[in-house]
Amino acid sequence: MRKERYIWLDKMITLATLSLMAFFYYGTHFLATAIICVLTAMAAEFISLRLMHKKIDADDLTCTSDALIIALMMPASINYLIAALAVIFGTVVAKNVFGGRQNMIFSPAAAAYLFVLTSWGRDMLMYPAPHVHTGLTGKAENLVNSASHVFNMTGKMDYTDFEILMGNFSGPCGAVSILLLTVAAVMLIFRKDISFGAFFGTILGTAAFAFITPMIQNRTDSVKYSLVTNMVLFASVFIVSDLRIAPRKWYFAFFYGLFIGIFSYILVLTTAKENAVVIMSVLFTPVALGIRILEKKIRLADDEDEEEKPAVEAKEAAV
Amino acid sequence: MFIINDIIALLAANLILTQALGTSTMFIAASGRKNLIRTACVITLFTTVASAFTYFVDTLMPSSVRVYATLICYTLIIGVLYAFFLTVLYFFGKEKFNAYKKYIHISAFNCAVMGTLFTISEKAAADDSLRNTVTYFLKGLEAGAGFIVASLFLAAAFKKLNSEKVPASFRGYPAMLIYLGIISMAVYALK
Amino acid sequence: MNNRKNSVFDGILGDNLILSSLMVISPIIICGDSVKNALSLIYAFNSMTFISLIIGSFVPKKIPYTIRIIIYAVISSLVYIPVRWFAVEFYPDSIHRIGIYYPLLAVNSLIVLQSEAKFYRMKKGRMIISLVFYIIGFDLVMLFTGAVREFFAYGTILSKVADINTTVSGLGMPFGGFIFLGLMCGVYRKIRSSVRSGQTESEE
Repeated sequence: MRKERYIWLDKMITLATLSLMAFFYYGTHFLATAIICVLTAMAAEFISLRLMHKKIDADDLTCTSDALIIALMMPASINYLIAALAVIFGTVVAKNVFGGRQNMIFSPAAAAYLFVLTSWGRDMLMYPAPHVHTGLTGKAENLVNSASHVFNMTGKMDYTDFEILMGNFSGPCGAVSILLLTVAAVMLIFRKDISFGAFFGTILGTAAFAFITPMIQNRTDSVKYSLVTNMVLFASVFIVSDLRIAPRKWYFAFFYGLFIGIFSYILVLTTAKENAVVIMSVLFTPVALGIRILEKKIRLADDEDEEEKPAVEAKEAAV
Repeated sequence: MFIINDIIALLAANLILTQALGTSTMFIAASGRKNLIRTACVITLFTTVASAFTYFVDTLMPSSVRVYATLICYTLIIGVLYAFFLTVLYFFGKEKFNAYKKYIHISAFNCAVMGTLFTISEKAAADDSLRNTVTYFLKGLEAGAGFIVASLFLAAAFKKLNSEKVPASFRGYPAMLIYLGIISMAVYALK
Repeated sequence: MNNRKNSVFDGILGDNLILSSLMVISPIIICGDSVKNALSLIYAFNSMTFISLIIGSFVPKKIPYTIRIIIYAVISSLVYIPVRWFAVEFYPDSIHRIGIYYPLLAVNSLIVLQSEAKFYRMKKGRMIISLVFYIIGFDLVMLFTGAVREFFAYGTILSKVADINTTVSGLGMPFGGFIFLGLMCGVYRKIRSSVRSGQTESEE
């Protein structure tokens, strides 16, 4: 298995490009949020590792990619303190309390997102329009609902395909740049940095159900918009397919992703819940853990078979 | 699609994750994966059967004494069931009795069972259409299913939560509480 | 002598009901989000637990275990009646605040399941002192939890607005209770182990 630091490096490259796009749309406020998130994550990680009497090495830098994922899931108008608290929660409560990166249970970014969503829902789900630059300390005056919210509630998506590809619509800073996210997904899959099975499963589950039970009359549009809204693509790449959480075998990971995709789509369809995929990814954590236990048992059984094979063959030869 | 929707609704109404009912019992039973699931199954038995009987208490008891006398009536119902289940188990053989009696001891008197009875009673008081034995029985079963789901959630992470990689002060119960808290947070976000 | 003292005072730090044994945690997780709620819970828990356990200690040990457990539960359900009546007369707000957790406190695992292991093996006088310290341990944790959660979740202290800019409303929710209690448990264990290792070193 590749060292975590190389996976982290690849992820950071993709996250940096998404951050660049977010900086282009939202200016210095996003940049400051991202920097605060990364620095807070490093501080929280190093302090908690010290308290746990653990050695710090380059692999521990993975906390910064989680921090950047958190920053990219937030609106550009988010309060810096809330962003920092989210990162502390993700790093300390959702990760290091359980033993850190060697004993991961939850995706820190997903847990941190839910923490903010449940405590500051309004701050989290109102967004500035793209190209509204507020500067470091300014506040965006006219916050709007996300394109996902409008689509969930009305079935309307008033953006051209080009705008959707470029991420030129209101929503979380980095989760709307569809073209960049697609490129990131392809790159990370080829570099084996994310679980292909989980990614493919989530996309297929969402697309299949968006086609079978469409949200709008046109089935093709239903599939298209269901994939680009509600952070489906972003979460499929950076949360559901996280190698630290997803089942190891690709076919198990596929079904894990498939069910997350299906459940989250139905949640959006029936309750118009925004960004349901992130909620589902946390709720499916026990499923991932259960599958990992199953994988381990299968591996042990296989090993036992391998050990018994020569003895059986020798017996047969003797007969 | 409707099944998935029902599963989500059932999860959102889970009594452990939303009202913390029965968490102490879960932790008492959390000495092993099997213990957890068996205890949850016995709790389901108690919530289901006891709920059906509480219907009679709720309908027959005069409202003037309800506030004070409900608890003692529910306690007596659970007490009778407790003795009854132990007796039934005894007839299955001494070995099985010795192996499984602890689950009945843990599962009888706790917030999980009593809380379920009070919750169902409260719901029925607010909505008259729920006042019938079948609904009480089904609601008890639904609550029990919630405990089984929560115990499966805990069982899946059991090894990781008790791993040596978890800091000593957080290993076991504290990690379980935080784990349940994060799952409960996701359930809350569903609403 | 030293050992005896330790076991009697254990209820506060060494074997705290909530933080060590995780008993009676449902009401704390759900209702322990403000000092007022904490006080209501403290009144209900203290009175029901103390009276029920004292009465329960007179139940003969010759009676089969199952019947004893049922008797303990019946005693606490009966004790619930005057406690609730008293609350209705003098402290009516507390009932609304705690809701269904009021009767649930009567059948808490300390009274029904753990009473024999923790108290009934002791002599009466010693049992009462030990019980008082267990109750004090519960009260302290309850008050602390209520105060901290109220301050950070609602930005108030005893319902009076405090000067705090960003409140974490999630801390007042059930999941906030789970997480806060989990973190507190971890910190408690850390403190307990350092105290114990300190004691061992000083003895050596």
